[in-house]
Amino acid sequence: MKQSFLLLTAALLLLTGCQDTVNTVRNAETAARRQEVDYRYFSTDDFCRDRLQLIRIDRGTTPSGLLQVQATVHSARYGFWSELWSGLTGENPYHLAYKFDWFDEQGMRVETPASVWLNLILMPGETRFLQAVAPNERCRDFLLSVKEAE
Amino acid sequence: MKTSLLHTFSAALLLLGAGCGTAAHRIEPGGSQALITVRDVNTQDWQNVAARSIQSLLASGVLNRADGRKTVVMVSEVKDRTGRQLKTTILTNKIRQALLGSGKAVTTTAVGAAGAEDTATRQVRELENDDLFNQATVQKRGTVIAPDMSLSGEILREMTTSGRTEESYFVFHVVLTDLATGLAVWEQTFDFSKQETASILGF
Repeated sequence: MKQSFLLLTAALLLLTGCQDTVNTVRNAETAARRQEVDYRYFSTDDFCRDRLQLIRIDRGTTPSGLLQVQATVHSARYGFWSELWSGLTGENPYHLAYKFDWFDEQGMRVETPASVWLNLILMPGETRFLQAVAPNERCRDFLLSVKEAE
Repeated sequence: MKTSLLHTFSAALLLLGAGCGTAAHRIEPGGSQALITVRDVNTQDWQNVAARSIQSLLASGVLNRADGRKTVVMVSEVKDRTGRQLKTTILTNKIRQALLGSGKAVTTTAVGAAGAEDTATRQVRELENDDLFNQATVQKRGTVIAPDMSLSGEILREMTTSGRTEESYFVFHVVLTDLATGLAVWEQTFDFSKQETASILGF
């Protein structure tokens, strides 16, 4: 009994120990002057919400005067239990898909070939920056959708 | 008796399972149900490369002109070096649609890599000697706008195999050239890899 428990613990440790996580370091005092967007977050998938943290959304303007947004997201799928679970389910790295939709000054969605689901592969602990540029100057608002791809 | 009955039942179940398929149904282009194959560029790949090209091109600001006029872009050749006979117009058509929608540029169909994309621009001017047509309505010569920039590209594929695992590496290189100077004013490379491990039984 005791032997099988030890064996199971060793197997679990081996499994979680095999996972690669991302470690980062950055300058403490950042020079960029960011324009943070006040956002409303609506989640229908609690798993995705817990695994993928939305850190912030910034906005800017391109040289051609188009609205540009950047969502900073962070994979929170690290730590013993998360690594164990994603190891067992084969969900490491984490496969996601995201899409930006754009709306004009009247709130109408603007059709563009760039509004499609884009792949995103995240390592545990990795931070990624989802960027998008408005398809034209009339665009004022955006909607970012994220879903688990696998 | 019981064993043979069980064998017959199992065999029938297997045959039933093997014979099952799915009826034709619609799926979202590039969605999670779409096919992914290692050797080809699939729907999702085209959509991803096109979307990223569009985002990068619009963000660059190279389409802006000092005189306020819209940049006229011709779609030149996208060389397919994958050996898979890719329909490269899937990519260029999405880019030209986005260019037009941006309000920063227009594309010309009067000239292309392999001649005019739409031969009508030249054809209608050949009506100038046809007395069937009211000559005041025939398009005049010297009115077609020549392009300022050219969109071209190249698609490459590298295959690697190790044991039962096969991997493909696709590289899309897209370039926008200023036709006045011949200089590339924007270029971007998009790459992605796909991998598949065959089962031991080979299917």
